[in-house]
Amino acid sequence: MEPPLTIDTLRTLATLRGLELTDEELAGLLPVVQAGRSMAESLRGALAGDVEPASQYRIM
Amino acid sequence: MVELARLIRAREVSPVEVVQAHLDRIASLDGTLRSYITVMSDSALPAAKAAEAAATSGETLGPLHGVPVGLKDLYCTKGVKTTGGSRILSDWAPPEDATVVSRLAGAGAVVLGKLNMHEFAYGPEGVNPHYGSPRNPWDAVTHRICGGSSSGSGAAVAAGLCPGALGSDTGGSIRIPASLCGISGLKPTYGRVSRAGVLPLAWSFDHVGPMCRTAADCALMLGAMAGYDPRDPTTSVLPVPDYLAALTGTVKGLRIGVLRPFFMESAAAAQRRAVEQAVKTLEGLGASVHEVNLDTVELAAGASSAVIAAEAYAYHEAWIKKRPQEYGADVRERLRAGAFVSGADYVNGQRARVLMRNEVDAVLARLDVLAAPTTPISATPVDAGEVEIGGEKQPVRPTLIRFTRPFNATGHPAASIPCGFTAEGLPIGLQIVGRPFDEATVLRVADAYQRATDWHARRPPLSG
Repeated sequence: MEPPLTIDTLRTLATLRGLELTDEELAGLLPVVQAGRSMAESLRGALAGDVEPASQYRIM
Repeated sequence: MVELARLIRAREVSPVEVVQAHLDRIASLDGTLRSYITVMSDSALPAAKAAEAAATSGETLGPLHGVPVGLKDLYCTKGVKTTGGSRILSDWAPPEDATVVSRLAGAGAVVLGKLNMHEFAYGPEGVNPHYGSPRNPWDAVTHRICGGSSSGSGAAVAAGLCPGALGSDTGGSIRIPASLCGISGLKPTYGRVSRAGVLPLAWSFDHVGPMCRTAADCALMLGAMAGYDPRDPTTSVLPVPDYLAALTGTVKGLRIGVLRPFFMESAAAAQRRAVEQAVKTLEGLGASVHEVNLDTVELAAGASSAVIAAEAYAYHEAWIKKRPQEYGADVRERLRAGAFVSGADYVNGQRARVLMRNEVDAVLARLDVLAAPTTPISATPVDAGEVEIGGEKQPVRPTLIRFTRPFNATGHPAASIPCGFTAEGLPIGLQIVGRPFDEATVLRVADAYQRATDWHARRPPLSG
């Protein structure tokens, strides 16, 4: 389980990625990023086993 | 389009008259519908005259000789503004055509203009803060969404402002507006149609395809567009079949799998009823019907979210950092969220796609096509954030893409065709999913259904 994201940690991450965001923008973005992290976590749980990624997609 | 092409070939109608009639209708109705961003009268009329001159001299330019089409405004058109529905590219005129645009022109099609869309294709509602949100032609009173992102394509075809259009589909952006606007649309197999010269949303999820009144029209357009393209390394070298010849009018002996869990069971009552009835119609035409469940379909949301967000961010990173205020608020926020997807999350999304693809392939080893509602709901008012299904409130955006995005993740071909209307008179779509590179069977089922029903022949209540 990853630690919950806060406005302050999101601000730090955004700055590291070169994004300058206002407090209002950070507040709007937080639930969107949080939802993405939750979905990614549930995906990790479902991917037990040896599955390779589809990096080259169905070329025939 | 099939009939129009035949009439032009037989010199019973003039390409100039056809193109002028469409331009007149655009002038009359599009102030309200907002389906076009750029109308190309200056090039469409000379192209129509050239088509007419060729027809007069007995020359055939191709299967779409003199037939007008519209292009979603993310297809590059040489010297003609290609905005992506955004202010970011409001004045950009590409140096060359997208491959599919060249192929349609080579087949004789006449381009009427560039169609409105959700900004950079990043939204299933099809709204647009920069060029005005297209209005669903099926409701003259309430401003309802057309579905997106190819909203202008859906509205224009439904309203008769072009007989066929190009859409693009990353999470359902051809099939959702086809469903909500009461037209036919096909997302081909990933690799069947070139994406070269098409502004990307997410390279590994993007599909290019036709949106028309009928499945037969989609077959005609697909045949002109499909095939290997050295400009797009993901295109297949498999030969392109004659899609029109595949429309035999029969489904006798075909095996249809009905997707009930996840799909039928979470759709609104009107959608469930219409699709159940459509399946019965196909059964009555000689197909056998089987129950199907896809266990991995629940992975679609997580896989799509991680992969699309990361790929979209990679494409937009420089603009979103330097010119964020030029994006609409919704797309700006979605793009920024992509900055926080980890490399592992992206790869896990691609791994989940393999599981999903393998399961759909296995199911389609014993069945010919799958059937489900295209969308759980019909067109909502443009400002509705939520919709009620079975007494439960659901957010509009994820609800719209719930049934379509699994097949962007797997790459299977999928069509949407009209199969009924709600009590409010809003269209309902039937989704038909086929085996990889077997668009012919998907179109055959869709066409046979349309020969037996008249949902696709109904027209929205427009004056003009």
